[in-house]
Amino acid sequence: MAGSRFVSLSTSTLASGALIATLASVQPALAQAPSKASSQSSPQGDTWASIMKLPDWGGIWEVTFGGGPRGARPEAPALTPAYEAKLKEYQDAQKRGEIQDTPAANCVPNGMPAIMTQPYPMEILFTPGKVTIMIEAYSQWRQIFTDGRKHPEDPDLTFNGHSIGHWEGDTLVVDTVSLREGIYDRTGAIHSDKAHVTERIRKINADTIEDQIVVEDPVTLTKPWHVTKRYKKLKDPSLRIDHWACEEDNRAVFKDGSTDIVLPTESRYKDPSKPDEEQKK
Amino acid sequence: MTTFRRAALLAAALIVAAQAVAHHSFAMFDRNKEVTIKGTVKAFNYTNPHSWLDIIVTDDKGATKEWSFEMEGPSSLMRSGIKPGSLKPGEKITVKAWPLRDGRPAGAAINITKEDGTVLDPRKGLRPPTT
Repeated sequence: MAGSRFVSLSTSTLASGALIATLASVQPALAQAPSKASSQSSPQGDTWASIMKLPDWGGIWEVTFGGGPRGARPEAPALTPAYEAKLKEYQDAQKRGEIQDTPAANCVPNGMPAIMTQPYPMEILFTPGKVTIMIEAYSQWRQIFTDGRKHPEDPDLTFNGHSIGHWEGDTLVVDTVSLREGIYDRTGAIHSDKAHVTERIRKINADTIEDQIVVEDPVTLTKPWHVTKRYKKLKDPSLRIDHWACEEDNRAVFKDGSTDIVLPTESRYKDPSKPDEEQKK
Repeated sequence: MTTFRRAALLAAALIVAAQAVAHHSFAMFDRNKEVTIKGTVKAFNYTNPHSWLDIIVTDDKGATKEWSFEMEGPSSLMRSGIKPGSLKPGEKITVKAWPLRDGRPAGAAINITKEDGTVLDPRKGLRPPTT
């Protein structure tokens, strides 16, 4: 089936050699991370007192449509021939009118870096040693450890990965690895579980936070992918990060690369609030 | 079609695309076609990732049929001024929608007109997000 790209995405056969190259490139970056804070006794943001010296990122933020500086088109990921072919297959099917989709239709979280592109509210919290990004879409959170720890060995691969960060003045520099295979953005292109994401997050004016994202992936990319996202402060004081319970009444069903809508009048519809035995036949 | 209207339609289409891709493809809806359906509210499920409005439509002969309309999730509807109590069961409404391509009785709501003439626009809160 044309849309089965998410079913056959094992990357292990494609890039064992490239994996070694990635790990080699990640390690020096990690070793450099704490050096910026070497003039201090502990990393910036490690205590409440040092948090007080950080910029105020309070408020509720939402990605701007299109992202990036006004008028700038995001760069397309430079995919390897194998992944370029997968993307073309996906986009050709879309052009033929086939309903191509991602597992997100079934409530599977988008994961990094796509989660940073979702048009829903976001809030950023500072606590000693950690920056937490709460994302309404899919009720996700990202934990960025600023306490000087390293990435774990033999990590559990997760949707949002493992993030460590440090402050360079008013910029939060974040390094993320241990991601599951997922999507880059809305292009339909996919990244592997060897993806390494670096972000430079900064408040550029009172109403705007900017995230300069760089993704390296030896499996799917021929060169690093750069994308800049901007988030605007939402003015409505009643807004908060709401609970996003995707399974509550999700009528979209994604199967074999295609999404269908299931209506409550149809026998295959399942009311998620009722146990199986009470579902109508 | 005036240039302004053309630009407004394009902007609306882009916003719809952006929001829809956040969860699922919009390809099952036919955006070149609009249907207008009159009925009585059965349920208004104010849920993520999409809210759903189910209505009962009665034809000339008294036969009934249920139609379902997909709408934005709560945070977008809230900003559009559409609250959980904005559409109550039993209320008579008219829904303008992009229908499903396969002809089943469902679509993506464009707007909803209440009996008193009030029009609810589920995407009003999306443009622009800062106001």
